[in-house]
Amino acid sequence: MGGNDYIDLLTLQTLIKESVSNAFPGKFWVKAEIASWSPRSNGHCYLSLVQTRAGKSVAESRAMIWKWNYPTLTRYFEEATGGKLQAGITVLVRVQVAFSELYGMALYIDDIDAGFTLGEQALERKRNIERLQKDGYMDMQKELALPELPYRLAVITSKTAAGFQDFRNHLLNNPEGYVFQLDLYEALMQGEQAPASISAALQDAGEKNYDAVLILRGGGSELDLACFDDFGLAVAIATCPVPVVTAIGHDKDVHIADMVAHQAVKTPTALADLFLQGYLEQDARLDALQKSIAGGLLRTISREELRVKSAESALRSAIQRRIGALEMLLQRSVGRISKGLTQKYADVARLKDAALHRLQFAAQARCSAEYSALALKEALITGSDPRKILSLGYVLVTGKDNKVLKTVGKVAVGDRIGVRFQDGSLLAKVDEVFSEKTDKSQTA
Amino acid sequence: MSEKFDYAKAIAELEEIARKVENPETKLDDIDALVVRSKELLKQCREYLRTVKEKIDSLDE
Repeated sequence: MGGNDYIDLLTLQTLIKESVSNAFPGKFWVKAEIASWSPRSNGHCYLSLVQTRAGKSVAESRAMIWKWNYPTLTRYFEEATGGKLQAGITVLVRVQVAFSELYGMALYIDDIDAGFTLGEQALERKRNIERLQKDGYMDMQKELALPELPYRLAVITSKTAAGFQDFRNHLLNNPEGYVFQLDLYEALMQGEQAPASISAALQDAGEKNYDAVLILRGGGSELDLACFDDFGLAVAIATCPVPVVTAIGHDKDVHIADMVAHQAVKTPTALADLFLQGYLEQDARLDALQKSIAGGLLRTISREELRVKSAESALRSAIQRRIGALEMLLQRSVGRISKGLTQKYADVARLKDAALHRLQFAAQARCSAEYSALALKEALITGSDPRKILSLGYVLVTGKDNKVLKTVGKVAVGDRIGVRFQDGSLLAKVDEVFSEKTDKSQTA
Repeated sequence: MSEKFDYAKAIAELEEIARKVENPETKLDDIDALVVRSKELLKQCREYLRTVKEKIDSLDE
């Protein structure tokens, strides 16, 4: 090879530069995915743009944003999309094809179409939803049941995420004192690596005996949260054997991760409330049961008190009735006794009169009898006067002792007897005695 | 605790107690015993919702 058969590198690079400059005199709008994104301390931003097909890179180029364009461009993009320019997003950028002798080929970006990026996201999202529905992933999680009292919780989030701290404080420092087991599974929550990182955490947590797996992100821009529309992440959530609850923290849209999850809430606080709710409901149920039992008890006591009062009242009435009856009985008795006494008094008076009458009558009778007896005695006395008897022809016979003889038994034959007449007496000698009782006769 | 506390069973028993206490045919003497039992169950349930579950679970490990 001779002395003029070669050129130096600078000459070559200069030639290439001129050729490139001539070939691409203007600027082009290029659609590409940001593969890497590196803002530097010198103010320039270096990035890599790629195009993939079936998951493989089919084109790649270095690109850069000069420091005089960088602030304006990024601010515009952030304001328009709500997200940051970063790896993993598809962009439509205006480029100047440039070649540097020192650095080679590069695309200088001086403008970006933010609306295109948003549209791309929306289109990708739509395609993913259709595919998930077609493949049956959309409702898989809905068939799982969250326990009534979820206790073991796996949280997939970034340790430093403000949302995680909010959630943790709200859940664990609940005023009711409910306890939870909270295990943190750290993952990237934004950017192109986020879907794979979250899917790996889901895989890990899904193998453990958790009551629920939570995907927690403390909010972010629409573009920041674009990873939650990822098809692969959606499949990982759908196929997780444990109910997955998302709290990705956005208000405007619902992400695909929310759609395939068992439940989705808006904020970390709402997520904590979801788990506290079951416990609060159970506590309320216990309170209601306690009130019901206490109420039932009070009602029973009131009922029993009424029964006691009623029994007391009935007893009081019965006693009063009884007293009334006794009083009536007493009055009747008093009446009867009084009447009886009057009657008795009348009877006694009558008896007294009768007795007096009888006594009077008896006295009169007695007097009469006595009078009669006296008269009789008088008559007897009068009649028994010997002289009167003697005047009638009768005689008195006297014995030897001069005593009147009243029987022949004391007279013997030969005795001498005196015979007294009214007008005198005589002495006689007994010749014979006749006794009427013995029928015997004594003869001298 | 020798036996695992069955929260659902305890709640069912509490509901049955509430039903019995509400029933006018239940005797006051029986209610007294039911109220004592309900207090015990309510205490256990509330503890379960807060701390006891953790202790029970730790026995399984």
